Amino acid sequence: MTTTTTTRRKLYMELENCIGCRACLAACTQCGGHEQKNRNYVYDVNPLVNSQTMPLMCLHCVDPACARSCPAQAIQIHETGAVLSATVDKCIGCQNCTIACPYGIPKFDEEENLMYKCDLCIDRTKDDIPPMCASVCPSNTLQWLTEDEIADKKQATDVGNDKWVTSMPYLEGETHVTVNLPGVLQGTVKLF
Amino acid sequence: MQKDKFFRDIENVRHRNEELVKTHCSYCGMQCGMNLRVDKSTNKIIGVEPRYDWPVTLGKMCPKGVTAYQQTNHDDRILKPLIRDDASLKGTKEGFREASWDEAYDLIAKKFGELQEDYGKDSLSVFSGVSMTNEKCYLTGKFARVAMGTRYIDYNGRFCMSSAAGGFLRSFGVDRGSTLPWTDVHQTDCLFIAGSNTAECHPTSMFRVWAVQERGGYLIVADPRETPVARRADVHLDLRPGTDLALANGILNLLIQNGYADESFVNQHTNGFEETKELVKDFTPEYTSMITGVAVEKIERAAEIYGKAPNAIVMFARGVEQQHKGVDNVSAYTNMALVTGKIGRPKAGVATFTGQGNGQGGREHGQKSDLLPGYQKITNPEAVERVSKVWGIEPEEMPKPGVSAYEMFELMDNKTIRGLYLLCSNPAVSAPNLNFVRGALKKLDFMVCGDFFLSESAEYADVILPSVSWSEDEGTTTNLEGRIIKINKAQEPIGESKPDWLMQVELAERLGKGKHFSHLKTAKDVAEEFRLASKGGVADYYGATWDKIDEQDGVFWPCTDKEDKGTPHMFLDKQFYHPDGKAKICALPYRPPAEEPSEKYPLRLTTGRVVYHYLSGNQTRRIKFLNDMCPDPYVEVHPITAAEYDIEHDEVVLLYTLRGKANYKVKITEAIREDTVFVPYHFGDLESINLLTIAALDPISKMPEYKACAAQIDKIKVAGKVL
Repeated sequence: MTTTTTTRRKLYMELENCIGCRACLAACTQCGGHEQKNRNYVYDVNPLVNSQTMPLMCLHCVDPACARSCPAQAIQIHETGAVLSATVDKCIGCQNCTIACPYGIPKFDEEENLMYKCDLCIDRTKDDIPPMCASVCPSNTLQWLTEDEIADKKQATDVGNDKWVTSMPYLEGETHVTVNLPGVLQGTVKLF
Repeated sequence: MQKDKFFRDIENVRHRNEELVKTHCSYCGMQCGMNLRVDKSTNKIIGVEPRYDWPVTLGKMCPKGVTAYQQTNHDDRILKPLIRDDASLKGTKEGFREASWDEAYDLIAKKFGELQEDYGKDSLSVFSGVSMTNEKCYLTGKFARVAMGTRYIDYNGRFCMSSAAGGFLRSFGVDRGSTLPWTDVHQTDCLFIAGSNTAECHPTSMFRVWAVQERGGYLIVADPRETPVARRADVHLDLRPGTDLALANGILNLLIQNGYADESFVNQHTNGFEETKELVKDFTPEYTSMITGVAVEKIERAAEIYGKAPNAIVMFARGVEQQHKGVDNVSAYTNMALVTGKIGRPKAGVATFTGQGNGQGGREHGQKSDLLPGYQKITNPEAVERVSKVWGIEPEEMPKPGVSAYEMFELMDNKTIRGLYLLCSNPAVSAPNLNFVRGALKKLDFMVCGDFFLSESAEYADVILPSVSWSEDEGTTTNLEGRIIKINKAQEPIGESKPDWLMQVELAERLGKGKHFSHLKTAKDVAEEFRLASKGGVADYYGATWDKIDEQDGVFWPCTDKEDKGTPHMFLDKQFYHPDGKAKICALPYRPPAEEPSEKYPLRLTTGRVVYHYLSGNQTRRIKFLNDMCPDPYVEVHPITAAEYDIEHDEVVLLYTLRGKANYKVKITEAIREDTVFVPYHFGDLESINLLTIAALDPISKMPEYKACAAQIDKIKVAGKVL
């Protein structure tokens, strides 16, 4: 096992691959530090129309609104860039973070009066082991890739026709997670 | 060889004071690799960790797989044998009392003995399943024939895989669910998937399916519903339920007419081409479209893509198989590969998505009414002699063939069968025409059920024997590729539960047949005997030792001796298993579903799975995460149809057929044909859609037609009041 804490890979999402199985939610509860509570979301995009779904994970903003909004400075940023869940003894349960987050990621535990959010399975990802969600995702909607692999993905799918949107540049602000929005096949050249 | 482009060398997280036990999932035929996390101080399973180095699934799991470990120490586990003295309570959960194993065994031996004395050997029956190891499946067949001495044994594969088996046997002369390993799937140029809701039923295939499209390959999906895999298909053939045979004939006709037939392959390696060519001529795109309801352009485009593809794989599942012409559908789709020669080489072939964990192995080793281990026919005297020798009986003692699963209920109903040993199955939910089947179970004089949860079927039992979950025993299963893999034990059995094979050994001793069973002390002992019993059969497992399975990440059958590494790709030498070495291209006249819509029943009802549940739901409905995601059944209705019936999303309606009725909440979606409604089948009691389904059986496979019958909806709520 490597002892370095420098992560070489990042979470990458191809939303169009999502099959709505919610294995990512089930797997989230299996991360040792998550106390059996899942921290991510899967939405039905068009519930009365088709079976399209999409996951919503913490994008681990470089300048995270949740941490900035926290009056108790309970939300720490790991050296890998992962935005951690609130430190239990600092969190005052004000829910500022949930309101501040542009994606509504932080969840709130009413009984404990504590927020909890995705910490990118920090006990795994600090050693470059994929987080549980990306480990199990059967459709490769969630992948754990190197910067080079992500650059290849971008090159393959960004066809410069202004119809293509990814989180590069950025949906809201710069994030450590790259999201590839629906349209993932539009740059594909058919074999025959 | 097995480290393909998706493989990553990843170390597992090891938590303090925990051990990881590598094994596979308990549920579907994907048999995803997983590590069970075991607490070293309590020796209990406490969680799951991905098995990144399993070559088929690389650590991926669906939500059932992730939560599968929660079955083992579940509060609902049956911990002791249960006996119910008051037979009037049959069909309920009431009246069971705890008993010792001795008392339970004694009662079973006494009752079985009395019934056989009064009504003959064949008054007893065994109904089993294939969500258990090859060793258990093998011993169950031996137990029925040697210890109980009855001809009546059959299994729930008749509701699952038997049409695929029948079709493959007819087309190839051998029934291996996939002609190639799953690591070929993403490398092909075209996937033609018929009647498989792959994304929900075999989710861990999906990264390979999407990868075909990423490479510029094509995805064609035939399904009445726009399932999550159909949603992204290049061509979605949205056919009427029960019309697959016309679609397959129509596409075959276009392949031949447009010059995609591989004449040299057809001439050298197949029979039946000319006859089939003549028959499918009638299936013009227009005629095919009229029967199937699929647009002419889509049929033409699908045929063009499949025809042009350098390599292609035809895949199918229960959608085409659970019909009263399921065997014909399988052979008809297989025709596409045989006529174009897209088979017998890497990246091209035919595969079925096996539904149950050991659907492949479980049907090969003697649980089927007419089969002995190794896929040997019980009507073949040489096979009977070989197996009798292994079992230590005289060939004359071998019982004759019995009847299929559903037909056994008919024999229970007319009192030919009076006693039943049920294990690893829940037919009170999963059989068709349930009002009849539940009635037949109630008529039994004596019923034993082995299970680890009290299923809806166990409610009809007089004695319940607590079996172990998959994680408390070891053995092998054969996954959907035909790869024999190893299930490992992660925890000691809880309570007084026992593996089914051990119960059978102990019960055989009570039945006076100990000399044929008492030497089997461990699962490994059973495995050794079973390999020998399969020797010489089509599904020869003799060379598939547990050591070899470990060393090679599984062994593909056939594997006939110690040196044989197994057979990942079938037919590479273009030799098929019919006596002349040729495959059969089958001329198959179209038949409509047994029950077509009528004025009184104008809708087409079809059934299937959701991603959160497995089979009858006896396991998955007890897992909190899964049940929270899908706690109740529902009926999917197209918005135009809903408007005609004046029903709304979430409104409860009455759905009924000639056989039964049930209330369901409406789920409005455009992702279904207007003439079709869909209900998932995982639910019990009054919620079972199988109260409504039809028991029209395929003449060869005896598969009921779950996928198509005629139904009607009645509104039961008017102005906020339930009528």
